[in-house]
Amino acid sequence: MPAGRTNPFKDGVCDVTGADEPALAEERSGPSRADVIGTAIVLVVGLVVAVMGWGYGFQADNGQVGPGFLPVLTGSFIVVASALELLRMFLAPTAPVEGSFMEGVEKVEARAKEELARAMAESGGGEKEELDVFGRTHRQRGRAVQLVFGVMFVAILLIPLLGLLLSMTLMTFVILRFIESRGWLMSAAVSAGAFLFFFLIFRLALGLPLPTGMLGLV
Amino acid sequence: MLDNLVLGFQTAITPENLLFCLVGVVLGTVIGMLPGLGSATGVAILLPVTLSLDPVTALIMLAGIYYGSQYGASTSAILISTPGDSSSVVLSLDGYQMARRGRAGAALSISAIASFIAAIVSLVGLMALAQPIARWALNFGPPENLAIILLGLATIVSFAGENVLRGITMAALGLAVSMIGVASGFSTARFTFGSINLLSGLQFVAVMLGIFAIGEVLNQIRAGGVTPIRARFRDLLITRTELRRSVAPTLRGTGLGFIVGVLPGAGATLASFMAYGVEKQVSRYRHEMGNGAPEGVASPEAANNAAANASFIPTLALGIPGSGTTAILLGAFIMFGLQPGPLLFAQQPDLVWGLLVSFFFGNLILLLLNLPMAPVFAQVLRVPYAYLYPLVLFVSLVGAFALGNNTFTVWVVFFAGLLGYFMKRFDFPAAPFVLGLVLGPLLERALVQTSAMGHGSLLILLQRPVSAVLLVVALLALSLPLISSVIGRYRRRHPARQDI
Repeated sequence: MPAGRTNPFKDGVCDVTGADEPALAEERSGPSRADVIGTAIVLVVGLVVAVMGWGYGFQADNGQVGPGFLPVLTGSFIVVASALELLRMFLAPTAPVEGSFMEGVEKVEARAKEELARAMAESGGGEKEELDVFGRTHRQRGRAVQLVFGVMFVAILLIPLLGLLLSMTLMTFVILRFIESRGWLMSAAVSAGAFLFFFLIFRLALGLPLPTGMLGLV
Repeated sequence: MLDNLVLGFQTAITPENLLFCLVGVVLGTVIGMLPGLGSATGVAILLPVTLSLDPVTALIMLAGIYYGSQYGASTSAILISTPGDSSSVVLSLDGYQMARRGRAGAALSISAIASFIAAIVSLVGLMALAQPIARWALNFGPPENLAIILLGLATIVSFAGENVLRGITMAALGLAVSMIGVASGFSTARFTFGSINLLSGLQFVAVMLGIFAIGEVLNQIRAGGVTPIRARFRDLLITRTELRRSVAPTLRGTGLGFIVGVLPGAGATLASFMAYGVEKQVSRYRHEMGNGAPEGVASPEAANNAAANASFIPTLALGIPGSGTTAILLGAFIMFGLQPGPLLFAQQPDLVWGLLVSFFFGNLILLLLNLPMAPVFAQVLRVPYAYLYPLVLFVSLVGAFALGNNTFTVWVVFFAGLLGYFMKRFDFPAAPFVLGLVLGPLLERALVQTSAMGHGSLLILLQRPVSAVLLVVALLALSLPLISSVIGRYRRRHPARQDI
């Protein structure tokens, strides 16, 4: 549980009425760098959409809506909403739900998330409370996601060489063996089983012409 | 109505359709149970597999996955406090607490019964309301269509949750992505950056596959997992007291869920949270909620199932999806050459009524399967996630190829997956993005036609009563969070005045 937050389950009863409401308000003390960067990127995307949209023609010759009308409008919405969001992050860093009609819903959701976090902590056990059922720490989990994206990227690049099914089989094997640290035999067996199953479904049952790549095997 | 029902029964009861209904609900249950694989993911992953089927059969199976996953998601929420679908997140409170106290089976039973009752009641509502609304909407011209699409976008933005600004941003971003390719009603290629592949735009279902399948699955790796609590067959028997206490919450949840589900964009998740909140206010046993009370299971479960069915009303009758998953189903309709909306009821009555009647059989199968078999299904949770997610990635990427018949679509899925992961990671809501994406082409078509009708002026929107009213309602929906926030803050700052 983050520092500064009260336990909504204290005394064995979950309070979702908001009795410990200040806890939510205390959650944000300032905008995180990732939040600011993410929102700024979205703002730039909106700007690009609006500017390019203007180039397509805001109005047609007959005065009617042109092909750039909706892009300009949409891009402007993105720019304004992102700019306001950035302002809100710096000027009103408290939880934005305060007082809104969605507040009750947000509180129930927040409690449910805390319950999940508690269940996870308990699953890991006392001294290894950081570890999840994968046996990974939080940092390792973030790294695993990056690795999986990397392996997927390479597997798609290999489609023109190995073909679709073989590339995906290789991807499955690499993830199981090297990211999930499963045994060689098990990783090979699961990958081969997946290959056979999806070959039967997509190639034989659905008759889809899947690319076989330069190797031309399957 | 009776003729339509007979037609629906004749369509739904064929052996092939019943079989695929069964396949759909079983797959839906299993998919819903798996953490990180919700109904949207299930429908997106399996859509390519249904391409060779008859449209009615395919849609019956896909819809079965949708409502089947509502049942499955509850099982994982109760047993591992990690729901497969966001609509069952709230069960992590009382459902998981019941499981921890040795009442896992009872919680599963209450969940299945409440879900079934809500599904059947809301199905009756769906059948009664969808056609009159569709008939009413038949008189709509482009301005009314434009206004109702704007209302759909406004509703989803105002229900986006924590931050309305992010909701607006994501809806607009979805619209922007939908504009890639040759403009609707024009010959201008937009945002293609010289790529021939982008000329025909991004395939909606491919983007969904990336966001919901790959993005969600990888987010689950980052989130970690929980060891499941074991549920036994003999525990499935619920006590008379538990049953008695579940009746009123089930009915309240059904009513609330139906109302919320009808609103475009509100969806099952919001319905379940609202139902829990209401129960917490009105239940006689509210002091027990959060500590394993049956009310905390029955009400949100009924609400999310009722909302799931009700969200088909705007989807089928108006062509405006009621939730993220119905947006994908709308994409499926379009892939099969069907356009959901008022004309669908007139042109394809066998499909619409066959689909609706199949909901009845599907939910009956789900009740029969879930009541005695929930502990068996729950064994799926014991399969290590490390083995499951590579297979999901495998089927998603092969399915991506099947959708577009080219490797470009596989790349679209990959990059959409990256986008979906970051959306989850940084709490950008996916539903407004999805709705923007699916409504973009419809919005632009209605906009161009309205502009032509008004000879370049969009003021025609305000000159026609229906579109004017819809537009005002859309503006109200958009400003509701702001107004309620201002009132809330005012009350907080002046607590004494409330007593006057």
